[in-house]
Amino acid sequence: MTTVSQTGGSPRPPGAEPAPGQDGDWAVEVHGLTKRFGARAAVDDVDLRVPRGCAFGYLGPNGAGKTTLIRVLLGLTRADSGTMSLLGLPVPAQRGHALARVGAIVDEPRFHGHLTGRENLKILAAARGGDASRQIGPALGRTGLSQRAGDKVSAYSLGMRQRLGVAACLLADPQLLILDEPMNGLDPAGMRQMRDMIRGLVDEGRTVMLSSHLLDEVERTCDQVAIVDHGKIIRSGPIAELISGAGAVVEVQCSDPPAAARALDHCAVASRVAVTDAGLTVTLAPGPAREQAAEIYRRLVEAGITVYGLHQTHATLEDWFLSATSRLEENQ
Amino acid sequence: MTAHSLAAARRGSWLPSAPMIGAKFLELRRRRVLTAVTAAFTVGTPVIFYGIREIYHLSDPARYAPAGNGAFANTVTLIAEFGFIAAVMLGATAGTSDLTDGMFRHLVITGRSRLALYLARIPAGLSILLSLAAVGFTVTALATAFLSGPEPASVAAALPGDLARSGLWLELDLAIGFTVGLGLGSLMGQRTVPVVLLTVWQIIITPQLADHVLPHLINAQRIVPGVAMDQLKPAMLAGGVTVGPTGGIQPAALPPMPAWAMATVIAGWILGWLTIGAWKMATRDA
Repeated sequence: MTTVSQTGGSPRPPGAEPAPGQDGDWAVEVHGLTKRFGARAAVDDVDLRVPRGCAFGYLGPNGAGKTTLIRVLLGLTRADSGTMSLLGLPVPAQRGHALARVGAIVDEPRFHGHLTGRENLKILAAARGGDASRQIGPALGRTGLSQRAGDKVSAYSLGMRQRLGVAACLLADPQLLILDEPMNGLDPAGMRQMRDMIRGLVDEGRTVMLSSHLLDEVERTCDQVAIVDHGKIIRSGPIAELISGAGAVVEVQCSDPPAAARALDHCAVASRVAVTDAGLTVTLAPGPAREQAAEIYRRLVEAGITVYGLHQTHATLEDWFLSATSRLEENQ
Repeated sequence: MTAHSLAAARRGSWLPSAPMIGAKFLELRRRRVLTAVTAAFTVGTPVIFYGIREIYHLSDPARYAPAGNGAFANTVTLIAEFGFIAAVMLGATAGTSDLTDGMFRHLVITGRSRLALYLARIPAGLSILLSLAAVGFTVTALATAFLSGPEPASVAAALPGDLARSGLWLELDLAIGFTVGLGLGSLMGQRTVPVVLLTVWQIIITPQLADHVLPHLINAQRIVPGVAMDQLKPAMLAGGVTVGPTGGIQPAALPPMPAWAMATVIAGWILGWLTIGAWKMATRDA
């Protein structure tokens, strides 16, 4: 059994009418969305709400269906069933109006290689219309590409193309940015720059929906997350709440870590056990951590393993992600 | 209506805006190899043709006639043949470059109508192709007029209407190549195969169908655009240096087609392929 929780606000049963003005609270709202490729459901009956004005992480392993959901939202491919809205406007019925204030990068950003960065933005600004062409200079400046705007894109690194993709998003003066794996190809400095830029955009009141498989980056960048696996959202909510609700993590230093891991097999209080160089890392099931740690200690001693030390650490998004997915496997 | 809502309404329109056409023109024009090939096939062809003939003439005037003598129809036909290949290349590139370069999804995400994105390619590509063809035709006409030696050149004696008809025929021939290349390229999502297919069609298959009567299949032969274009050829081109007072001279192999049939075949090919390309553009996953 999988759990699908609504992100913020009160849950609304699928098909129920929204309260007046309620839809405007969500930058992205999806109900019962399904997209199949043959027999395989890349997006499987997904319900998702992304609140306005936050950085929202859409997190999952490769092949989980993150990009497919984004492609469906943006009209790059068609959904098989379900309803969607962007910035309160139903899509695909009002996609043109909705996308007027949406910027997005999907997959690896590619452009006309024989044109300069500025010329590529001119083409996109011409398609957007309005005052998008006046945003080219500021967008290049904000992404740090002003000095290289006259170079052909074929000479750009992947990181520069990522930044050009963000600059293309900014042409819309967007209320919502949807960024698919924006950290891909960036060096540490570039990742930090991207993170700061995303936080800056959120501070301006924009919404950033960010898909990634990089747990650490999402934890540093986002306020809320949804975890997707096999096309389904398995958890969602504010990161702080999710981590606090996750089981604590206990690091165990012991004489025989592989034997200790076997001793904790099928132990109800340990939702996940990993052997490390120093010993074991045990993610506890939700519940009183003190008693559970004592139970771990008792089992190891009974198994004849010498325990040198046992201490509790803070759970990270990665710990929570792994415990959530392992619980999912157990449920399945 | 606010500026934003006006821009949003325009975004939903299937009509491309002038900046969109300009942007596509820029994208195509900056493809140096493609532009150079198009210029070589349309403008370079008469320059080289007349240049070689003039060199021969200057080296041995008694043996070789002046470059402009009797060369007009042959040169325009040469431009039409080479230019058709360039037109197909330009059309197929216009139809596929956004997709192959990864720009298509950026453009779709702007919210602009896919049909408007598609239609912007037509004036953008044609403006490059037809302007270069016009230069090539003008070079041909001027070279014929000024390199004809002491004998009066046919072009110099031709009526402006006949000359204009010849130019329009050339432009129409190349426009067909462009639109078919655009439609087929958009349908297939790649450039190489459409260019090869249409080059083979134009260089090998069309002349065979135009020159040999297939019993019971004459009407099928007539729906080949090259056959219809041959029959539509102005007398000034069809008859070599002869300036005919009336319409075109049909090829000997096939019975003549009525004008409405020629127009239907040509319009059918242009509109048919453009429609197929637009349908694929509207339904393709980006």
